[in-house]
Order: sequence, then C-alpha cells, then structure tokens
Amino acid sequence: MPNPGHSPDTPSPQPDAERRRRALARKWTYLLSGVVVVPLTAEELDRELGEQLDAVCDGIGAGQYDPKVLERVGDRLCALGYIGEPGLRCTLEVLGKGLLALPEFQPVESTAERIVLGLGALAVGFLASNQRAVIEQQESMQLSLFKAVRDAKSNLRESEARFDEVATSSSSGIMIISLDGQLVRANAAIGDILGYLPAELTGTTLFDLVHPDSADVLRDAMRQLLDGTETRIRQSQRLLRKNGETARISLTTSLLRGTDDEPSHLVIVVEDGTELMLLQGELKRQVLHDVLTGLPNRQYFGSNLEAALRRADPEHGVTLLHLDLDAFGMVCNSLGRQAGDRLLVHVAQCLKVVLSREKAMIARFDGDEFGVLLENSATTPDVATIVADINAELAEPTFVDGHGLAVSVSVGVVHRPSPDLDPTELLRAADLALRRAKTRRGQWELYHPDQDAHDREAQALAVSMPGAWEQGEVVAVYRPVARLADGATAGVEALLRWDHPDLGPLDHDRCAALAEQTGLILPLGEWLLRVSSGQAVWWKNVPLIVGLTAHQAADADLTNRVVRVLKETGLRPGQLTIGMSVQALRVPEAAENFGVLADMGVATMLDGFGGGAADLVLLDELPVRSVRLAPSPFATELAAMVHGSGATILVSGVDTEEQAASWHSAGADLASGDLFGTARLPGDLSF
Amino acid sequence: MAQQRDWVPQDVDISVPSMARTYDYILGGGHNFAVDRAVGVQIEQIMPGLRQAARVNRAFLGRAVRFMADQGIRQFLDIGSGIPTVSNVHEVAQSRDPECRIVYVDRDPIAVAHSELMLAGNDRAAIVHADMRDPESILASPEARRLLDFDEPVGLLMLLMLHWVDDESDLPGLLARYGDALAPGSHLAVTHASGDHQGREVTDATEVIRRSRSQDQMNLRTHAEIGALLKGFDLVEPGLVGCGEWRPEGPADISDSPDMNMLVYAAVGVKS
Repeated sequence: MPNPGHSPDTPSPQPDAERRRRALARKWTYLLSGVVVVPLTAEELDRELGEQLDAVCDGIGAGQYDPKVLERVGDRLCALGYIGEPGLRCTLEVLGKGLLALPEFQPVESTAERIVLGLGALAVGFLASNQRAVIEQQESMQLSLFKAVRDAKSNLRESEARFDEVATSSSSGIMIISLDGQLVRANAAIGDILGYLPAELTGTTLFDLVHPDSADVLRDAMRQLLDGTETRIRQSQRLLRKNGETARISLTTSLLRGTDDEPSHLVIVVEDGTELMLLQGELKRQVLHDVLTGLPNRQYFGSNLEAALRRADPEHGVTLLHLDLDAFGMVCNSLGRQAGDRLLVHVAQCLKVVLSREKAMIARFDGDEFGVLLENSATTPDVATIVADINAELAEPTFVDGHGLAVSVSVGVVHRPSPDLDPTELLRAADLALRRAKTRRGQWELYHPDQDAHDREAQALAVSMPGAWEQGEVVAVYRPVARLADGATAGVEALLRWDHPDLGPLDHDRCAALAEQTGLILPLGEWLLRVSSGQAVWWKNVPLIVGLTAHQAADADLTNRVVRVLKETGLRPGQLTIGMSVQALRVPEAAENFGVLADMGVATMLDGFGGGAADLVLLDELPVRSVRLAPSPFATELAAMVHGSGATILVSGVDTEEQAASWHSAGADLASGDLFGTARLPGDLSF
Repeated sequence: MAQQRDWVPQDVDISVPSMARTYDYILGGGHNFAVDRAVGVQIEQIMPGLRQAARVNRAFLGRAVRFMADQGIRQFLDIGSGIPTVSNVHEVAQSRDPECRIVYVDRDPIAVAHSELMLAGNDRAAIVHADMRDPESILASPEARRLLDFDEPVGLLMLLMLHWVDDESDLPGLLARYGDALAPGSHLAVTHASGDHQGREVTDATEVIRRSRSQDQMNLRTHAEIGALLKGFDLVEPGLVGCGEWRPEGPADISDSPDMNMLVYAAVGVKS
C-alpha cells in the first residue's frame, strides 16, 4: 500500500519518526527499570534500550524481515542483568503497543504481521539466552560448591598438620573424641602410655580405653561439659593398657566448639606424670572423698559448708538435704554387702542426674546417708519438687544381681538457714529432720527448731520383710471366688500373708504395700505368681486370679516374667487372670503391659474400678476381660454401668447372703468374701 | 570466656538455606540451590511484593556506591557481600573509576568460593572469609592490608547485613570497633530489615527462616534502634529512611508499593 511519508527502502526514519522512537525507548526504560535489576544507571539503560529499539525497528522495517536481528535483541536484553519473566512481559507489552503506534509502521495492515513475528523472535532469543544464563549460573554454583568443599578440605589438611606438629612434640597423650565417644585423632604419646601403636587406636571409642568402673564418672564429666556447667574437667582416671593392666592417669577433658559455637569434639589430655605424684594426688583425694562413689565425704562436705553459707546468694540462700536410703539394711541383709555397695553407687549417680542443673555439692556421709548442699538460685525448684524428682529417679528399678530394686529416700531438710549458723549445728538440724522423716518412708521433713530429737521411731516393718520371706514367714494363700448365680466355685485368688511372730498375720494389702515401698515386690510378686500358678495346675487348672501392685504393673520385665512362669508351670494363659488397678494403669508402661498380656491370651482384669471418667476411658480403650469394683456406696450402680461392656464383673467383701443376692441382681458375676471362704493355705482347700 | 574453636572447618552444608542465595533467588537469579528457592517461595507467599523490596535494596547499593565515589571514596569494604549477583559493588565502583579497590567479606564458604571464582583476574578486588563479629581478623586480613589504606577514607558497606547479628553479639560495640579503624571522612552505608511497617508479614517471614534452620537468623529492629546503632556517624540527608526514599533517581529506585519501599531502612553516614 502506498505510503507517501515513508519508504520501506529508507533505513533512517524521518525526524518525527525519530522523535517517536526515542519516546518509546524512554517509556521502555522507565517501565522496565521498575521490574528488573540491572547494573546500569537510568541514562545508561536508556541509551542501551534506544539502540535495541533501533535494531528492532530495522529488523522489522527493513525490506526483508530478519528474525535473527530480533533474536539478537532478545539475547542482548537478557544479558543486561536479572530480567526474567517480569522483564520480558514488560518488554512485550511496551513494544507490542508502541511499535504498532509508530508512524514508520503505518499503515498497520502492512506491518502488523512482521511486528508480531518480530516480537515472537525477540521472545525466542530471550528464552534461549535466559535458559543458558540460568544453566551457567547453576553451573557456577556447582563449581563454587566444589571449590568451597575443596577449600574446606585443604584447610582441614593444614590444621591437621598444625595439630600433628603440636601433638607429636608433646609428651602428654592427646586424644580428640567425637561427641559420641569415637576416637578421631590420637598422638603417639597416648600410644606409648597405653602400649598401642597409633594405628591400632583408630576406630576405637574412648570407652574401650577406660576402665569400666571409671566410665560413669567420665560420662558425667562429658555431660557437664556439654551442659556448659564446666569448661574443663580434670580427673584421676583409670585407663586400660593393651596388656590389660590399669593405667592410673590424670585426664583433663575440655570441649571444642565449632565455628557455629556448637559443641563439636572433646579434647582429652592424658598426663603421664610420675607414679609418685599420681599416688599423692590419689591419696589426697581419698582422704576427702568416698572411695566407693567418688563423692566428697562428710569431712569435705563439712569443711566446705561454712564457705558455701558465706558466699550464698542472700536472696535465695542455701538448702541442706540429709538423705537416707529407706530399705538399705534390707538390701544388704537379703542381697549382701556388695549389692548394697552397688546400690549406693546407683543412688549417687541418680542424685547427680537430678541435681545436674543446680549448683549442688553431693556427698556421701556414712552407710546409706548422703548430704546435698544446694546453693539456690531463682530457678531452683522447691524442696518438695526436688525430693519428688529424686524419688522418681530412684523409683526406676536398678538391677543388682538380677534383682530389680526400686528404692526411695527419706530426707531431712534445712531450708535457708541463717548464714551465721555453725556448720556443725546445721548438720545436726538436718539429721534431726531426717529422723522425723524416716517415720514415713520416701518422705521429707523440714527441720523445725522446736522439735526434739526423741521422736525418732523404730525401723519400718518393710525392712525386715525380705528376711521374713526367706524364713518362710511370708506365704501364698488362696481365697475362693464364687459364681453369684449358683454359688459354685469359679476360681481362686492368690494372696500374700505374713505370719509375723509378734504382730500376728498381716494381710495381702499390707504385705503388698510394704514390699512395694522397698522394691521387694518385684521378686516377691513373681514368686507369688509362680507358686500359685503351679498350685492352680495341681488343682486341675482351676482359674487363678493374681493382682499386681503399681510397680509390678509398670515393670518392663512383667511380660517376660509371666511367660516364664506359664512355661515353667504349664498353666494355660486363659486360666490366669492378671489384675492391675486403675491407678496403676495410668502409667503408659502398665497399660502397654496390660495390652501385651491380653494379646498373649491372659485374662486381664481392671481392678478397683470406681466409675470415674478416667476409669471409663480405661474400660473403653484397654482389652478388659473382667472388672473388679472398688468398694463404694454406689457399687451396684457401677455394676450396672460395667455390665454393658461385656466384661465379667467381680466384687469382693461379700460376707452375707443378702449382699450376694443384691450384687447378683445388680449384675455382678463373681464374688469373694467370708460367705464363700476366707484366704487359706492350699492344704486347707481342695478342688 | 574464651571458647576454643574447632580446627575442623565449618562444614559446607547445602541442606540448609543460605539467606545470601535466597536473596539472589528473590532478585531473579539462578545462583541458588533448591533449599534456598524453597524458603524464597515461602517468604514470597507471605510478602508477594518481596521481589520489589529486593530490587529496591539492590538499587540503593548502586546509589550509595556512586554517592561515595562522588565524595572521593576510592576504596570499599563490603561486609556480608553474599553471593555476587547482578550489580556488584566493584562493578558499580570500577565503572566510576577503574582504580577503585574493593574488599568483600562473607562468612558463608560457598559465597566466598563463588566470589573468588568471579574475582579471579581482578587485582583490585578480593574476598575475605570471615565473620562480621570478628572485626580485627577482617581489618588485619592480608586482602584488606593489600587493597585498603586505612589512613584514607573507606566506604564501608553493610547492606542487609546487620539484621543477621543478634543483640548478644554487642552490635554497637562491633560498629564502634569498625568506626575506630576508619579514617575521618570514611562513609558507612547500611540497610536493615524492620517490622515497623509490615509487622505481621515480617514476623511470619522471620519464622519461616527460623524453621528453615538457616545459619542466618533475622533480628528485626525498629527505626529508633537502627538509628541508635549509627550514632557514631553523621547521617547525610535524608537520614535513616525507607530504602526507596533514599535519594531516588528514577523508577528503578522505588517500588509502587509503599510497604516494599519501607521494608528495609537505609542510611549513609560519614565519620567526622
């Protein structure tokens, strides 16, 4: 179509056309700079885009449409900086509208196709270039990553060389240990001290080299370092030489932190001083420390008490705890002195664990008594919490010669004494408070100055129980369980009875409570289960009920014990009903045991069901075969409530025909009580 | 308490994002890894205009360097330089005067490696692998001693940097130590993120970064707190303002969204 103002053969536009192009270039610059990041000033970008716009116009307007020119513009645009999708979108919008309006491309009918194709070519060129740029950027990052790793390794080699230089010239042994105890590096001196070649040490752990008796102390030290309570710990330690001998050495452990300030390794310096020097140090330590537990002794504790009282924070003061193990005599009597010693070491460890966050001095006094001096801070828990924590830690059974012992402590407490108090008097006060606390096991008692020393009571009954059991004073007895429908015997419940020479017979609940306090219940309970299972088989598989205490119910070894007993006695699991109280079942471990026993085919019983919300949840969630109702004025209503669940209902304490009839009509299935027979020795029963 | 440092160098860990690489992603670059992009996408969802804020900050870098160059500064110390992306200090400065000398500093080993590769062949620019909180090792580094003359004014840049330093590191004390090392007439340019204007979004973004377990963690400060950090320097007009409000010259310097202009505060100060 004729166009008098412009000939397509003329590459340079007319002055007006030139002005309109500059205006479009400026608009492009203005809008593009608002969405992209380029290292150019506004003028530089304007100049650059002006040139590109000329190229665009020439590529489209030239006699022959040349897509290559437009693709090069796209490529150039991409190379300006971070243009991306927003930059391309902006460019196409600006040029799409702007080119169509330029005078040189009028009339539009003759140029529209070339403009559309031209912008398409620009986009193609941009896309190819952008893709290449992203790939190049990604490759450069891979290269950087590779370089960073290589640099890090080369730094490592340099620092290792520095380490070797220091370490080889040292006569002290130096070990680098990872936080999980793996030996990372060791110098030649450590090999000399322990009699290994350095190569033999690689891959071993620190604890392979430490005498087993020293391992706990070292673990404690490592924990303190990791907690940040200590920065360097020096200990007299025993390491094992290759030939099996013990090397008594002085060991200094400190923490290495990484550049991120997180603990990364432990460095241990092993000093091979003269035997004499070590002996001196050890002797000095032994004078002030208890050899068994490694804790300070009473003498050391007393001499540091005064200083601690003086330096204590006046706002929070100190708290003195005097602790005594509740059943220590019993442990020693029944399991021997050595077991007692091991229990004491265990208690010392527990105290350290519970008090690890406090500024506390823990000492072993004499026998089974410990002292703790707490320098209180704003975050120190109250006395009740601390004692509860200690007892909770000790309630975890520890295994001594195959006996799971869960002990408790009684505690005498002197809280925030006057700083002027004489240390001797302070210790005496704590001792008095302890004597009072001892009257109730696992308890604590604050010292009251007006209480006198004479309220100390006799040793608790529980302490003599293991001996009594040994002597045959504690026996298994059986109480018949009858069917309410017809009064026929439906089984027996196995119970403990202690025929005490002075106090007369102590019933099952009393025996179980006493044994529960000292941890004796674990072996005693297994014994009851074993003899009664054997008895039930002897009685031609009469159904047997055995109730468990809270400790037994939560015992991690419970299912093993039951399996063992069933295997040894030949009792079928379905003939055995194991009862756990609703209180005991609130502990997750007990509920888990309950489920496992049910899976094994053992009949499970919810004992002491009181109808509270929590009890109903247990009834709903656990595989309950039977329920024994707690004595309650509303017991008949409870029976109705349970009846719908399908569980067999047991009641106890049924002494008269009237009671039996009333229970029967309430929906109870089985009952025990005087009406059906008291608990008796097996010889007095027959089936 | 003097902590012992591990002699094993910090691991090159690309399982956690780096904010330098995430920044590059937000700018539209490809110098990043998948973990960085994942965090970038999450933050962009919280703050859809984030790319604008990043662009505006990058534009401020150019204005600040050119401003300093116009005041006669010919040597620059860029601490927390990150991944060299588009429009770097040495490019801006050396386009003004090829004699300009630049020392970059970053603590991220990958950023350092990348800078070394990029600066190979440029004998007037170098990178130091160091932490901002250790001024002495930066100022005494071989690169700084070779390229910078501390008897002459220096242009110190800490852009999108100070908010990675927590209050426990005694930031005022650190800035004072840098200030003490600089000759009178030295300039300081700072940009610092703040929650003053988009409190909710900025807090959410900070949480995204926290959860990402990046080594870089955000410490938001108010206008007054950032101003107090700069008290050793006389701020040039217009003082401490939203990044887009600091002497804008064109559409590249500001965003259409006022919030994105204010997300980051900017200032240039002179040591008297």
